Amino acid sequence: MRRHTAVTALGAVGLVGATVIALTGCGSGFDEGDNTGTGGTGSPAALTSSDDALTVMIGSSGDAETKAVQDAVAAWSKSSGTKASVVAATDLNQQLSQGFAAGSPPDLFYLSTDQLAGYASNGSLQAYGDQLKNKDDFYPSLVKNFTYDGTFYCAPKDFSTLQLVINEGLWQKAGLSDSDIPTTWDQLAEVAKKLTSGKTKGLVFSGEYARLGVFMAQAGGRLVSEDGTKAEADSDANVQALSYVQQHMKDGTFAYASDVGAGWGGEAFGKQLGAMTIEGNWLTGAMGDYPDVKYKVVELPAGPAGKGTLQFTNCWGMAADSPNQQAALDLVQYLTTSDQQLAFSKAFGPMPSVQSAADTWKNDNPDLVPFLTGADYAQGVPTNKGAADVISDFNSQLESLKTGDPKKILASVQQNLEAIVK
Amino acid sequence: MTATTSAPVTTPAAASLPRSRAQRSSRRGVAGQVTLYVLLAVLALVYIYPFLVQVATSFKSEQEAAADPISLIPQTLTVAAYERLFLHSDFPLWFANSAIVTVCVTLGRVFFVSLAGYALARLRFRGRAVVFALVVAVMAVPAVVLLIPKFLVLKQIGIYDSYAGMILPLLVDAAGVFIMKNFFESIPTSVEEQARIDGAGTFRVFWSIVLPMARPALVTIVILSFQGSWNELSHFIVATQSPGLTTLTKGVASLATGQLSQGTQYPLKLAAAAIMTIPVAVLFFIFQKRIMNTSEGAVKG
Amino acid sequence: MTTTVAPAPPRGRSRTGSIHRGEGTAGWLFVLPIVVILGIFLFIPVLMALWVSFSDWTGRGSPLAGNVRFVGLDNYAKITTAGGLQTRDFGIALRNNAWYVVLVVPLQTALSLLLAVLVSRRMLRARGFFRTAFYFPSVTSSVAITVLWMFLFSFAGPVNQLLSWVGLHGPNWFQDPRGILNLALGGGSGPAWLADGQFLGVSWWDWLAGPSIAMFALILMAVFTTSGTFMLLFIAALQNVGYELTEAGMMDGASGWQRFWRITLPQLRPTLFTVITLGLIGCWQVFDQIYTGTQGGPGKTTVTPAYLSYTAAFTQQEWGQGAAIAFILFLIIIVFTIFQRWVLRERTVSRRRMRAYLPRTTPKKGRP
Repeated sequence: MRRHTAVTALGAVGLVGATVIALTGCGSGFDEGDNTGTGGTGSPAALTSSDDALTVMIGSSGDAETKAVQDAVAAWSKSSGTKASVVAATDLNQQLSQGFAAGSPPDLFYLSTDQLAGYASNGSLQAYGDQLKNKDDFYPSLVKNFTYDGTFYCAPKDFSTLQLVINEGLWQKAGLSDSDIPTTWDQLAEVAKKLTSGKTKGLVFSGEYARLGVFMAQAGGRLVSEDGTKAEADSDANVQALSYVQQHMKDGTFAYASDVGAGWGGEAFGKQLGAMTIEGNWLTGAMGDYPDVKYKVVELPAGPAGKGTLQFTNCWGMAADSPNQQAALDLVQYLTTSDQQLAFSKAFGPMPSVQSAADTWKNDNPDLVPFLTGADYAQGVPTNKGAADVISDFNSQLESLKTGDPKKILASVQQNLEAIVK
Repeated sequence: MTATTSAPVTTPAAASLPRSRAQRSSRRGVAGQVTLYVLLAVLALVYIYPFLVQVATSFKSEQEAAADPISLIPQTLTVAAYERLFLHSDFPLWFANSAIVTVCVTLGRVFFVSLAGYALARLRFRGRAVVFALVVAVMAVPAVVLLIPKFLVLKQIGIYDSYAGMILPLLVDAAGVFIMKNFFESIPTSVEEQARIDGAGTFRVFWSIVLPMARPALVTIVILSFQGSWNELSHFIVATQSPGLTTLTKGVASLATGQLSQGTQYPLKLAAAAIMTIPVAVLFFIFQKRIMNTSEGAVKG
Repeated sequence: MTTTVAPAPPRGRSRTGSIHRGEGTAGWLFVLPIVVILGIFLFIPVLMALWVSFSDWTGRGSPLAGNVRFVGLDNYAKITTAGGLQTRDFGIALRNNAWYVVLVVPLQTALSLLLAVLVSRRMLRARGFFRTAFYFPSVTSSVAITVLWMFLFSFAGPVNQLLSWVGLHGPNWFQDPRGILNLALGGGSGPAWLADGQFLGVSWWDWLAGPSIAMFALILMAVFTTSGTFMLLFIAALQNVGYELTEAGMMDGASGWQRFWRITLPQLRPTLFTVITLGLIGCWQVFDQIYTGTQGGPGKTTVTPAYLSYTAAFTQQEWGQGAAIAFILFLIIIVFTIFQRWVLRERTVSRRRMRAYLPRTTPKKGRP
């Protein structure tokens, strides 16, 4: 019996080993897959072309955006003859990562500035920026955001800045007028105090760097230097900014959206749990759910170092594994034309990424001009590889800002950033 | 003699208790009973109330759900949440996917697990001990360790993002093999021996004679695998990525996380969760007695 | 009258000839599906993951391809000793899960035992109803229950409203990252001697933070859903406990509590062991609830190693680290199970104790 067990055990091991080797054989088939269409991370090789349908994955801000993109893609599909479908992701990053790892990612997808470095460095992206016909029409700062290792990877699809949005109804009820629109930090605090009553807080915003960063910019601080080579998180300016926010959270005039029971600043604003909020262009699309709220967009107040705000942009990322990159490029060209971007803007708010559309946009959206003005002094978010994780850790520490120590929080962010900027 | 001595001891003792003591103890007994029922009632309320409020809220409007979350009777009964769920979302697709996977997995499991259980219990073959050890070892590996690797293997084999990838890995359940093996070991071999003597082959004996006898254990396997595959989440996360293959668990989880401007939408989410629970709840209520008694088998076995 | 129809072949040689021929092949054929599936989808994945945890695979192509290099314990080092963000994340995840285990396992064991005892009382009407009510949450999916719980414990949800009826102001449960123990010990950033030292990137004060309020809500949910299953195990075990011993205890004048503690409970030892083991194994693998409900927030206080393994691999594309986290978790589970087995082992009774039970050679005063 012993001998039989030993023989069977050997047999089992042999079976396992054989299967592993067989799987390696299957696996090498995938190696060929990731060599087509990339040419590594540098030079854009020839784009693939086939009859496959295209999948476009977006991280939608709501029904308005999803519908707008679906309509646009459907229109292109009809005129070009290539089928294409739009998928609204529930967790864009996770679905993209899983898709890349599985070798079957969507052909086109929203790609944010902080994700570019990660995906570009492991060969998941197809660089097509230099093949765009309207390459010179994009704002230079946006092109810079999407350039990695000297290569312009993807077409910026739009951009937004953050500004102050005020609830006109509650503003008037508190006896405030246009002359009371705050232009300094102190004035902002005063106005917030006047607007705080009952369940409504004066200023409500999402508790993350993507919102509190405006105060840091206004105090003259940044997370990393402009060229991305030095970490500057623990500067006095940043400490000053966070302390300012903390002070007013403690006295009840500022609040995080989650503290008042909302998912984000826009929801708190729409439900009138906050009289003012700091949000970007996408708010217009979301406010469709709250038609009773009359609102106005004004420039954020200036801090100790002047005006400052954050700028966000996404691009149309193209997958290296896509079998029909030629059609995908065609679709991107269509989606980044001036007219199409203006149509998107009308549907859900963000500003066109092409300079030729700026004047038309200003005429069409006089109420949203402060967003465009913000572009003059806006800061971008760090784009280094691994920055996204540092920022998400920063966000998790910011959740306890009310009772925490700004200096300590920023010191740990500094430490994390130093590890990734070298 | 020893077993029966206790009986005569108790009765005379009880009878000889002084009257006031008996009264006191009976009053204490009544008080004890009342406390017991009160305690049980409170606990039962704590256990049942969440589900009642779930169903009630799914029929409320969003504003009412936010304003008056605790009441069990909506002021204005509305089926808006259900309407949105069935007509404007992929919910029916999710339900269909879950149903397909669950049925396939349950049938497959019943068949394979009973085969393996019978072989391990009855058939003598080389390496039986090794296979049994394998099954036991597998039970020890926690599911979390398998999350990433399963993804890798599915990708390698090429069944990632397909129904095969969703169903195949779930077809085997070590605990089920255990249950069937224990069951088969507990039935006498006489009938099988008889059939063998009459010349039936092994599979014949298994299929026509032993399996019908195994009905109670099979029902247990059916219940456990239905529940297990209907409620499975992490496997579907790593096995699929296309929206067309989303199951109920994955879909409702994505509803729960929601998107930027979708707000809280509790009636919708709770309606989805409620409908998701109905099939397992129905199964539960039908097979209540059996489910409650399965654990006895588990403890004894 | 003969007893058997045909003489059965002698035992020793029954395997090779007669009715048991062909059993060898049949046996293998029967277990083949199980072996194949277990092998492909359980054994091989574990081996592959082990390889990935020792390699620098970035997620593109096959992990068995030629360009994937062996990097030894690099991935493990990055999450345990390197001291950067990944170490801190892992430390936080361990802390969260440790508190979860520490609270859930005793609570669910005690509650399920209590429910079992209550439901097993001799004189009880509607026993079936109560058993059903307590067991029902266990059949529901973790996703459904998490969705329900997110509603119950939302800021304006039923639980907070209930608390307001008794005058308490409930916290914003799932958004509150403050640790319970920290709060009890005064809140804030803690004394310097605790806040300065650290282990795995997390300060001692944060290690002692206890579960956050959000995690506490999840703990309550875990106890709610699993107490039913374990209650059934205890009920079955209680049915096997003979009434004679308890009666003898009653005769000897033991109070209800003593009877329970010294007579019933020791007989439940095997079931207790099973329940605690299953509880431990289950608690260290919390994933579904986090994925559905909180995604690790608020402030990373509901991140568990299982969830961290998933996000490290699937979101941050750090597959090696994700696999390393999973294997460390595997190790932790094994260690805990062995430790718990050792703690609950049957110990030989000490001599002193023994003497109380041995028969007396000299009669005690007052007894015949």
